Amino acid sequence: MPRRDPPINRVVLTLALVALVTWLSLPLGSIAPNRIVPGTAYTIAAAIGWPLALVSCLPLLGLLALAWRPGRLGYPLALGLTLLLLLALPAWLALMAVRHLDPELPQARLGIGAAWWLALFWLSLLLIELRSRLALAGWRLALLMLPVAVGWWVAAGWLEPLALWQELSGRRGAFLEAVVDHLLLVGGAVGSSLVVGAAIALAMRQNPRIERLGFALLNFLQTIPSLALFGLLLAPLAWLASRFEWLAGLGVSGIGWAPAFLALLGYSLLPMVRNTFVALSEVDPGVLEAARGMGMSRGQVFRQVRLPLALPVVLEGVRITTVQAIGLTAVAALIGAGGLGTFIFQGLGQAAMDLVLLGALPILAMALAADALLGALTRRLDHRTDLAAGAAP
Amino acid sequence: MSMALLTRWSAPLVWLGLLLALAVGGEWLEPLLRWSEPEARRVLYPQADLLTLLLRHVQVVAIASGLAVVIGVGAAILVTRPGGRDFLPLVAQFASMGQTFPPVAVLALAVPVLGFGTWPIIVALLLYGLLPIVRNTLAGLEGLDPAIEEAARGMGMGGGQRLWQVELPLAAPIILAGIRTSVTVNIATAALGATVGASNLGAPIIAGIVNGNTAYILQGAVLIGLLALAVDSLFSRLLPARQ
Amino acid sequence: MIELKSVTKRFGGETAVDAISLTVNRGELCALVGTSGCGKSTTLRMINRLIEHDGGEIHIDGRPIREFDGRILRRRIGYAIQSTGLFPHWSVARNIGLVPRLLKWPAARVGERVEELMALLGLPVEQFADKYPSQLSGGQAQRVGVARALAADPDILLMDEPFGALDPITREGLQGELRDLQSRLQKTIVFVTHDMDEALALADRLVVMNAGRIVQQGRPLELLRAPADDFVASLLGGDDRGLKEAAITRVAERMQPLSLRLLPQARVHRDATLRQALAVMFREHADRLAVIDDEALPVGELSLRRIVGAGREGGSDT
Repeated sequence: MPRRDPPINRVVLTLALVALVTWLSLPLGSIAPNRIVPGTAYTIAAAIGWPLALVSCLPLLGLLALAWRPGRLGYPLALGLTLLLLLALPAWLALMAVRHLDPELPQARLGIGAAWWLALFWLSLLLIELRSRLALAGWRLALLMLPVAVGWWVAAGWLEPLALWQELSGRRGAFLEAVVDHLLLVGGAVGSSLVVGAAIALAMRQNPRIERLGFALLNFLQTIPSLALFGLLLAPLAWLASRFEWLAGLGVSGIGWAPAFLALLGYSLLPMVRNTFVALSEVDPGVLEAARGMGMSRGQVFRQVRLPLALPVVLEGVRITTVQAIGLTAVAALIGAGGLGTFIFQGLGQAAMDLVLLGALPILAMALAADALLGALTRRLDHRTDLAAGAAP
Repeated sequence: MSMALLTRWSAPLVWLGLLLALAVGGEWLEPLLRWSEPEARRVLYPQADLLTLLLRHVQVVAIASGLAVVIGVGAAILVTRPGGRDFLPLVAQFASMGQTFPPVAVLALAVPVLGFGTWPIIVALLLYGLLPIVRNTLAGLEGLDPAIEEAARGMGMGGGQRLWQVELPLAAPIILAGIRTSVTVNIATAALGATVGASNLGAPIIAGIVNGNTAYILQGAVLIGLLALAVDSLFSRLLPARQ
Repeated sequence: MIELKSVTKRFGGETAVDAISLTVNRGELCALVGTSGCGKSTTLRMINRLIEHDGGEIHIDGRPIREFDGRILRRRIGYAIQSTGLFPHWSVARNIGLVPRLLKWPAARVGERVEELMALLGLPVEQFADKYPSQLSGGQAQRVGVARALAADPDILLMDEPFGALDPITREGLQGELRDLQSRLQKTIVFVTHDMDEALALADRLVVMNAGRIVQQGRPLELLRAPADDFVASLLGGDDRGLKEAAITRVAERMQPLSLRLLPQARVHRDATLRQALAVMFREHADRLAVIDDEALPVGELSLRRIVGAGREGGSDT
């Protein structure tokens, strides 16, 4: 039964209303005289004055009006307003810095407050809602986001007092190194788990005993907390490195990348094997029978029918594994594996929350980006459903 | 009857027994642990007794999972009612985004707001555990045979009657499976809380990593593993056999 | 009695049901037929307000249905659908007792009613009461569905292709049972089907719908003999129409008294249809049949000319 659209878009209305309330009531940011002393928080009105604060709300009021009466042009207009709000977000912080930072105090720094983070969050949800309302393809949205990205790039120049920025500028080299280490560990673990996982899945298809044993083992591995698995690999690897010099020569030791890599590989295997196995087993028997009935050889059936049909499901496994590995690699910093987790644990140790952010934010961004990219790729390769929103060119 | 009951519940009972035995009487294991760390001065984790840590661990997971169940199932029910259907795509997307957030990152981001201690890990677990519950509840409620919905309406059942007598009982196995996934994953993930000062079974693991003492790590890991197994086998008994 | 007065239903811009008027009298079985998407199911579902009508009026026993709360109305109208819609987590007995419980009957009365209905529909209580729908065959599940629809003894029964998913033998069996039930219970039934043979066999009144409108309605024989247009004719089987008519006419209506001529070997029961009689003739290469009764005694005879209708006015076929 088709449903007529209600005249009011309650989702946009709710989100805009909540965003308005949090934007006005929670602190936009805080000013601290130096790194250690906790800062004083300012709401938007206190930070940039009521007149400007009201100006900052205008697009939100526009959204409310559009949500009340979304006509034919309503949704594209709402999308435009949302992008405008996103584009303007850094500007309010910059304004706050100009107004409140004492140029006499070079140590003084600007912290980002709850209102700002929540605004980012509500605006992301608005984007999701508007995207599905407009049935916007992923790449179109990415294109629309480009001006926002450029705007933020430009605004970054005005935001030197930003605490996050100051933490970064002190350790630009270390940051880049950590990002590279993080990506290498994730890439290495996911890549090798794909190869090893595919081999295990193929072996499982040959022999049901291997299948039972393999799944029991991999399921067991998943119940061990990541923290413990990293720790438990320390001693055996240290022992191995002390016994075999060539291993030590490769850089294997109890602490560092080796145990991290092994533990990541272990965790990645379960989702990878499970998806590959399911992908290869659950091809429609009718399709396989038809393929054989047409006179295709076993090899042809595998390469031309099974594999292309299995690919999206395997990729789904790669997506799950990658997102999981990005998070787990952060934990691996505890055993000296490097990566962005280093900043998190350093920051927690020094109670320097901006350093924690420097580690946590890129990890979050990486996870979301990997999820979005691999998800889009999966949908593109998946010919079984045409429903995948935004996948169609 | 009592025999049958005993065999039915034997697996969870065995795991629970082992778990409590290890938590209370860790001293018996000293020789075994000694074997893993021949040189260390101590092999038994000293700071707080393991039973307290176990109880704190259970507490954290229970609070986070309890909240996740209330919020997840509640939200999924609301967005499948006629009045809330507009919010369905948003809630589904948000739940899947929640799973994408790495728990360490959420934990780290929660510390500035909530301070060190137990609350950051509860928030991280809540967010991480929400997706399986929301996803399965939505799948359970949306996947019902339309003919059953039609018949329920056609017989004159009201919205509440349909929800409580038809939709929830039929979706229950799928919802429970989601809660099971969520809880078992959270039991393992809760160990991370020890890095922000929550005292739970992650504490011996961190201490072991810092001091290079494998025996400490083993104690934490084994107890967490047993807890996960006990809870998981409890869930597998809860799921009805009839279908 | 159900009356529809220029009832209209639109979905978005599409008009699904276009100003139809229809009266179903008390105790009548009215079959709605037509191709898929012609609006017959929508019409049915507007009667119990599963779908609200946009225009016109629907009256039950003289009162507009908008006067009733939808739920209360539906509890007073039986409803059976193709896929049964039995609740898989409830036993057969609990499924049948649903509407009486919704009406807050005392438990004892619900139990009695359930047993009564199970007996009525040939489902032995001790064998079926505690079974779950997944343990039933298609035909048994459909009986439970009909029993559930009849549970609160409603005057009106709505059936949406109730036998559509069954194999031909089970379907014919259940059609026969429904005819028997109807002759005993005298419910007012609106029955949607796209199986023309089913409609012809069961209906007192046949309503042909196309593109949301009623094209023709009347007794089955009237439609077979004088279809209003080519659509009705082709829906009724085109050139096969004659055979359909033969299939709903009894041998007893056309047979002649025994004559002095030698009785033919080939025989047919007096309650068989003319179609079956034709089949016997074809098989036996005969143009005359002996008509027999339940004791296999000859009670008359039937010739090919009588079947095809020639000589009905005249007396003899020799």
